Amino acid sequence: MTELAPFANEPTLELRRAPVRDELLAGLARVDRELPLRVGPWIGDDRRDGDELMSTDPGAPGRVVAVAASGTAQEAAAAVTTARASFPAWAATPAAERAAALLRAAAHLRERRSELAALAVRECAKPLADADADVCEAIDFLEYYARGALALERGPALLQVPGERNELRHVPRGVCAVIAPWNFPLAIPTGMAAAALATGNTVVLKPAEQAPGCGLRVVEALRAGGVPAGVVALLPGPGETGAALARHPEVATLAFTGSLAVGRELLRTAGDVGDDARQLKRVVAEMGGKNCVIVDADADLDEAVPAIVASAFGYAGQKCSAAARVLAHEAIHDALVARLAGAVEVLETGQADAFATDVPPVIDREAQERVVRYADLAAGGGELHGAGRALPREGWFCAPAIATGLPDGSPVLRDEVFGPLLAVEAVSDIEEACDRVDALPVALTGGLFARNPRTVARVAQRSPVGNLYVNRAITGAMVGRQPFGGNRMSGTGAKAGGPEYLAHFVESRTVTENTMRHGLVV
Amino acid sequence: MAQRTLDDDVLEVGRQVAAALPRAHRPLQALDDRAMELTTQDAELRAALFRFVDVAPACRSLDDLATHLTSFLEEVPEPAPPLAAAMKVGRTRVGRAALGAAAARGVRHMAHRFIVAQTPAGAQRTLRALWADGIGVSVDLLGEATVTSQEADGYAERCAQALDALAAGHASLPARPVLDADSRGALPRANLSVKVSALTPLLRAEAPEQGRRDAAPRLRELLRRAHSLGAHVHVDMESLDSREAVTDLVLDLLAEPGFRDGPSAGIVLQAYLRDSPQLLDRALAWARETPRAAPLVVRLVKGAYWDHEVVEARQHGWRAPVFEVKAQCDRNFEALTTRLLEARPLVRVAVVSHNLRSVAHAVAVSRRLGAPDADLELQVLRGLGDDLGHALAACGLRVRAYCPVGDLVAGMAYLVRRLLENTANESFLHEQAEGTPLEELLAAP
Repeated sequence: MTELAPFANEPTLELRRAPVRDELLAGLARVDRELPLRVGPWIGDDRRDGDELMSTDPGAPGRVVAVAASGTAQEAAAAVTTARASFPAWAATPAAERAAALLRAAAHLRERRSELAALAVRECAKPLADADADVCEAIDFLEYYARGALALERGPALLQVPGERNELRHVPRGVCAVIAPWNFPLAIPTGMAAAALATGNTVVLKPAEQAPGCGLRVVEALRAGGVPAGVVALLPGPGETGAALARHPEVATLAFTGSLAVGRELLRTAGDVGDDARQLKRVVAEMGGKNCVIVDADADLDEAVPAIVASAFGYAGQKCSAAARVLAHEAIHDALVARLAGAVEVLETGQADAFATDVPPVIDREAQERVVRYADLAAGGGELHGAGRALPREGWFCAPAIATGLPDGSPVLRDEVFGPLLAVEAVSDIEEACDRVDALPVALTGGLFARNPRTVARVAQRSPVGNLYVNRAITGAMVGRQPFGGNRMSGTGAKAGGPEYLAHFVESRTVTENTMRHGLVV
Repeated sequence: MAQRTLDDDVLEVGRQVAAALPRAHRPLQALDDRAMELTTQDAELRAALFRFVDVAPACRSLDDLATHLTSFLEEVPEPAPPLAAAMKVGRTRVGRAALGAAAARGVRHMAHRFIVAQTPAGAQRTLRALWADGIGVSVDLLGEATVTSQEADGYAERCAQALDALAAGHASLPARPVLDADSRGALPRANLSVKVSALTPLLRAEAPEQGRRDAAPRLRELLRRAHSLGAHVHVDMESLDSREAVTDLVLDLLAEPGFRDGPSAGIVLQAYLRDSPQLLDRALAWARETPRAAPLVVRLVKGAYWDHEVVEARQHGWRAPVFEVKAQCDRNFEALTTRLLEARPLVRVAVVSHNLRSVAHAVAVSRRLGAPDADLELQVLRGLGDDLGHALAACGLRVRAYCPVGDLVAGMAYLVRRLLENTANESFLHEQAEGTPLEELLAAP
């Protein structure tokens, strides 16, 4: 393979230009004509259709996006067996060849950008710009991990002394079950699968039950790129399908992004390997957060307000990195609340396929009910701003709202709502804000608006979060620029899109050879 | 004898204007200029001072102000002796009070160079003095960013009051033929620059119709007010993210039958944008199809968001929408100048530049086209182009100063942008200060 150009992020569409917007809408029209997609378990060359599972447009639940067959326990076992059988050959494939397959998969995605974005719009109500960014991030993961695997194969420099040769090699672990979420329906499954494949593991991908169509497109791209049929399987299904994969003794690695509850369940399952086990399961888990943005007295509210609104209400608050709490210095608290409330009032709630939409519907009825439940709690314990707007009758819409004056210990300040609800609290100073952040069990992302460099240094030092953003929005981590992942109960600490991520998918072997024979270095 | 070229004419105009520039700087301004020159040479110090100026209005006390100042100065690797002394003073409470007071004075002083007054009424004295010197004004109301509907309404209300104040304030001024009429007819005296980003919280780059729809009623009201007062409304252009919304909004509104007879209104053409010639095509086509009593005024500027455009493009992996080589931008500016001047009387033309070459070029082209000087407006920015403006007026040219009005908090974003511009290494003002020979400054880009 010729030398690869250094990694660069795939440029998002320049949607401020009208012809570019039209192109994306044309992709949407093309996708609408081919819906619903048929999806089912795809193991080796075997495919099965069925209709046990259905994904629908969250903004128009009557529109069926994908009709899917749900993977059974037997199919889970068959998928793992096939992946296990394909493992030795894929592991032995030179890293450069594996990387080339991933790069071809990236090219495959690149050729279908509008259609892929359109599918994310329909299946998960990703607003157009976010959907485009999701496709770009999927491409980024493929490009980034392909390069990373080549670097990993070269191995790190070890200390070498005369008469001894030391080598550190990285070898794949085996079958990796990728259990993916619906909120980044293309990027996250692609990212987890690409990391496993680049390092020589074989993959069974279980997409979120809300997003089987996007999962299908991911596996299609990988196979089109030249990843052998036995090396990557698609296994749509509900939570039980994921659980079956997690339990399977031949699954060596679980790559999971999703809720804390499911993550803990997977960690329990993975820990209980049984007496006959030949390998410990490793779990790479990315879970929830309760992300706080601290706003100091010297913050520029002109910048803070739009950034907080985008962080809290973009994609209806359904990003793991989304802002859930604002900790505002008491000197600016009231001014900030007034401006935030006014800014939320003008947010456009609407369909994901309209460029003007700020807040799309949430993913499903259950999510809608959860958001309403927490909004009621907030209204009961404090004051709720902005919840009164009229919403479309159909679709899982929620009114974006701001909660203030909540009592300490309110569940609204503790639980991950995963919806367009933002709590604002007053703090007397930065230390109190840091104390409140520190009291949380989760530590995914955080934000700070402050202009004194000493404050920035202090908060960066005290903040336990995996990703701290200063004077900007707290969502939108970019591959290679903001390695992403949480600490504490938010995850196992792997940083997706960062230089260390691939290490979680390999085992390391040190080989030391004595090169002295008869007192001579040979 | 060889034929006289355009460049010969440019040189002649340029020399004439340069000769009219004041020889001695005003002492206070010379001090500012020296301070700015110092910061131009030291990138870290420059960053520290800009960050300080930026945060100054948000500081709650003199102590807070001094604490911020010393925190920024800590980041300068090798502070010059006066800075080290300032940082030492900042270690005690009493010292911080003194340092904070001095710093506050410094920022206020700098701000007043660029920002005329807190309100249009308060600016009356300055406007009167400028008028006496043969310089008209366009007032720009500085304000906090608009993120809510209430803020948009508030800005619109301030604009309406400014129109009233400007109309009233200008009514009693003596006649100034060069400012009062061109060959198309009378020119409005009261002139207000308006920002669409302040008229709506809904400007979205990927959904321009959102902002356009939301801003339209507020701008329509202002146009009606301006019409009844005989005032001019100029809609400023900001970053490329809002260009489509702004352009569509203004051209659509002005095409409404109710505005056929007025008011006088204008848009801005940013020469640093690679596709600015296409925007001019559109504006001229619009003007041909939309006969109005007062022709559309096109204000040609270089563009004030260069860093923003380049950084945003780099962060997204896009091609920068602006020229990245200064000479290319300067050449485009001249090409657009010529096209605009040739398009008269379909449009009225205002050329904004502090680059003596660009200004002299516009004047020379206009004259070669046989137009009287009154058919070309030259604009300068208050605080940056004061000397140039006075020199141009002294040469009998039609000059307008763009005058920001507002409080210090609101004015900081504007102020920092202007300061950056003033200390940029490639800027004309900087080169002029450095003593670059006139012939070089007037050479074709």
